[in-house]
Amino acid sequence: MKRVGKGAGLVVALATAGLALAACGGGTVNEAASSSAAPAPESSAAPAESSAAPAPADCGSWGVAMHAWVGYTASAQVLSDVAREKLGCDITQTTLDEAGVTYDAMEAGSVDVIIEDWGGGRWQEWVDRGAIVEVGLNGNVGLIGMYVPQWMCDEYPDITDGTKLNEYADLFKTPESGDKGAWLEGPPGYTTIGEKLIEANGLNYKIINTGSEAALIEAFTKGNDNKEAVLGYFYEPQNFLAKVPLCRINFPANDWTDAAKASGLTDYPETPLVKLATVKLMDSGSPFATLVQNFEWTNEDQNQVALDIESGMTPEEAAQKWIDANPDKVAAWLEGTGAS
Amino acid sequence: MDVKAVLRLRWVQALIVLVVWAVTATALKGVQTQELSTATDSPFTAIMRDAAAAIRGNRAESPLFIYFFNPIRSVITGFIEIFMGVIAVPAPGNVIPMLGWFGTLVLIGFIVYATSTLRMALVSMFLLFLCGMLGMWLLTMETLAMTIGAVVLSLAIALPLGVWAGLNDRVMKVLRPWLDLAQVLPTLVYLAPLALVFLIGIASATIATMIYSIPICIRITALAIKSLRQGPIEAAESAGSTRWQLLTKVQLPMAKTTIILAINQTTLAALSFVVIAALIGAPGLGKPVIEALTIRNVGDGVVAGLAVVLLAVMLDRSTSAAVNRDQSGYAAADAAKVRRRIGLAIFGVLTLIAIYLSRYLLWFAVFPEQLIFGEYVAEAANALSEWITDNLGFLTVTGSEQFTVWVLNPLQDVLANSPWWLTLIAITLLAFILAGRTVGILVFVLLALVMATGLWNDTMLTLAMTLIATGFVVIIGIVLGVWAGRSARADKFLRPLLDAGQTMPAFVYLVPVLALFGPTRFAAIVLGVVYAAPVVIRIVADGIRQVPKESVEAAVSAGSTTLQVITKVQLPVSRRSILLGVNQGLIFVLAVVVIGGFVGAGGLGYLVIVGQSKPELAGKGLAAGIAIVLLGIILDRIAQGRPQKSPQGRH
Repeated sequence: MKRVGKGAGLVVALATAGLALAACGGGTVNEAASSSAAPAPESSAAPAESSAAPAPADCGSWGVAMHAWVGYTASAQVLSDVAREKLGCDITQTTLDEAGVTYDAMEAGSVDVIIEDWGGGRWQEWVDRGAIVEVGLNGNVGLIGMYVPQWMCDEYPDITDGTKLNEYADLFKTPESGDKGAWLEGPPGYTTIGEKLIEANGLNYKIINTGSEAALIEAFTKGNDNKEAVLGYFYEPQNFLAKVPLCRINFPANDWTDAAKASGLTDYPETPLVKLATVKLMDSGSPFATLVQNFEWTNEDQNQVALDIESGMTPEEAAQKWIDANPDKVAAWLEGTGAS
Repeated sequence: MDVKAVLRLRWVQALIVLVVWAVTATALKGVQTQELSTATDSPFTAIMRDAAAAIRGNRAESPLFIYFFNPIRSVITGFIEIFMGVIAVPAPGNVIPMLGWFGTLVLIGFIVYATSTLRMALVSMFLLFLCGMLGMWLLTMETLAMTIGAVVLSLAIALPLGVWAGLNDRVMKVLRPWLDLAQVLPTLVYLAPLALVFLIGIASATIATMIYSIPICIRITALAIKSLRQGPIEAAESAGSTRWQLLTKVQLPMAKTTIILAINQTTLAALSFVVIAALIGAPGLGKPVIEALTIRNVGDGVVAGLAVVLLAVMLDRSTSAAVNRDQSGYAAADAAKVRRRIGLAIFGVLTLIAIYLSRYLLWFAVFPEQLIFGEYVAEAANALSEWITDNLGFLTVTGSEQFTVWVLNPLQDVLANSPWWLTLIAITLLAFILAGRTVGILVFVLLALVMATGLWNDTMLTLAMTLIATGFVVIIGIVLGVWAGRSARADKFLRPLLDAGQTMPAFVYLVPVLALFGPTRFAAIVLGVVYAAPVVIRIVADGIRQVPKESVEAAVSAGSTTLQVITKVQLPVSRRSILLGVNQGLIFVLAVVVIGGFVGAGGLGYLVIVGQSKPELAGKGLAAGIAIVLLGIILDRIAQGRPQKSPQGRH
């Protein structure tokens, strides 16, 4: 007992000494970093934790939500890097699930910006509570839908007509779906209306909840390689489509002017993607708020960066490449921030 | 034997129930199955949904939040952030936390040295260095900081409670149902309610970790105090010690070794949970593991998973070394004591130098990129998983499809696609027959509650997967367990695999399993088997090893073959362990079948996951959590069988 007591005492003494040592003293690695270019700390392992930045000016410290799909990564990385380089903001990137989880984090104050949200108003509850505001469109247009591998469209040309889908139900039968066709639904966090689609179109299909995007990509890759029939949820812009060609099933159009008719959904609409931010950020007067407000680019822009990331660049490198190649667009975003 | 005697046999009765059930279910297939589409609420889930919305709406204003939950959140977050700030998270604008990697490494080495041995200190430092070489230094430190913080908080609550429960049977009686419940509670279940109250982030993750590790610590501590030899205690009592003196001078020192074991088990439990807690915003190694699933990068997940395993080995070995030292330490000679003190002093000075260096020299501050080989490991893992998919995929897919058609679907037809009342009656009857009247009534009530949640059909889907996975686990567990129990060499071969299987987070092998079996219920079953088999193998092997040598030798000399020895002597004698193995297998499988929701298995697991990400389905997620708990208790009670014996603690 006594000896361990001494050991513990020693540990405490040492820890105190160590912390005292750590607290004092100028010229540490940290100070060196803020005066010169910072070394990238393990950027390959933890891009989200990187914190190389010029001395924070009046921009302040803000959190950017990171979502898993690469298109989102492209947008968020470009936004973060412009904020860091041009405005001297201190940006923390936090990886979170889409939607509710992130809205909660925004309400809790750990995240300030979602640069690309697909969810058509599902954030309303948080807006009502004064936590989140819509900051307009980010310029990307998303299209969700049900897709099959390209070879199926070649072989059965009218399969893309959603009203004919029942004739092909047998092709999509699996042990999971029993005597109906298997309908691979999108991951839990994504916007999905499969049940409504099946009901509204009277389809003889059974929903298989895939649970993750990995499962969908796995299924489509297999379907393409082995010429297996797969019907599943997917979306554009997504550069997976450049690797495994898919074609979209089109269901009868619906009236989209009235959001209240959502219960009659017969296909996914084209979705202009929305920027969301915390009220705290937008009321702060920070130049970062202005940048978020101004941020806008096209599907093509996003795909360029996304493709670079997929072909092996780090998100930072890919974002930097786009920023260097598009000074006009960046300058337009910076309007009103005082930076150039 | 006359017919009446045969009918009195329990297994005959059970068989009759099963046959009648199967026949009736086939006749009534698809009738009153209580199937509910994902987007539809039952009355109960609607109530839960509104409650969840009310909680979300009140978080900003309700006094309960302002004066109770929110302060708890701030305090816990602040506490964890202290550890984070020292070793893991650089302050805004900084490159390194308070200590650079080298300073942290040597400091941890010093702490391990001070509590156990020099050899252990070096091993620990080596393991941590490997984590750095995997390219995971900061993330490993985040996980370590989270774990240490959660363990400190857990011990602060669990040690006093455990001691109290050990001293006072009445306290134990009050605590026991909660400890039992915590043991059958799948971890994924309490994430959603916690995130609802404490929001996504460090606080929720820490509290979830504590809920998981505190019961284990209380159990072991209480047992430690309770099972002390009474002699010294009575002597102290008759010498006039007060109760406080008795506790601090006699009972605690005597129980110290076991209490350190409790700390060891608490630490490992906390670490294994920190990965799952990444789902509600825990920082650290869990993040890349879970991201690997979403972006389908097996390699990154494997690298982070390896770092988790290394950290687990390090924490396990260093805390168990502390136990050993504590047992042997008293006899040490004076010369050894002096030598050790000098050693500590030297190591201490080295630590201070290392800390200093790590703050001023880049090489010692930021883990040098030249040493990192994590990407190669990731690439290799990716290549391997691709090769397996390409070359073995056809086998696994056909196999799993056949299995689904011939075994899983028929079972599911009986359980889920038949009238709900039929299943309810049949399961209740089986509980009566196998586990007696008390359990029978309990199971009936619990099933009725499942029915009341409105998630009957999903619960039965999950039950079907759980039963099949448990079947596999028990077969594998008995075969490998007997092998490991009989042969020391087999045990040596299996042990590291079992260690890795138990510490590697289930999410790491989600993606390869997905690649092999596609988004199917079978994939979820495989997950459950991989996760639960190590525990069952361990328990069975322990049981076999405890069979008295004399009985085995007697059988051998009587001319029994190896098979006869196993089936006639070793298995029957270790029956208790095997039953415990079945019980633990069921519970472990249930915990992971839930994760199967990520690979297209549907059922309750999917509802839990979807409820977490879609606010409009929050009610279904919460109700699914309740249904899982009910199912866990039902399975646990039936599997414990007739005589009431409580399962031993988790290993």
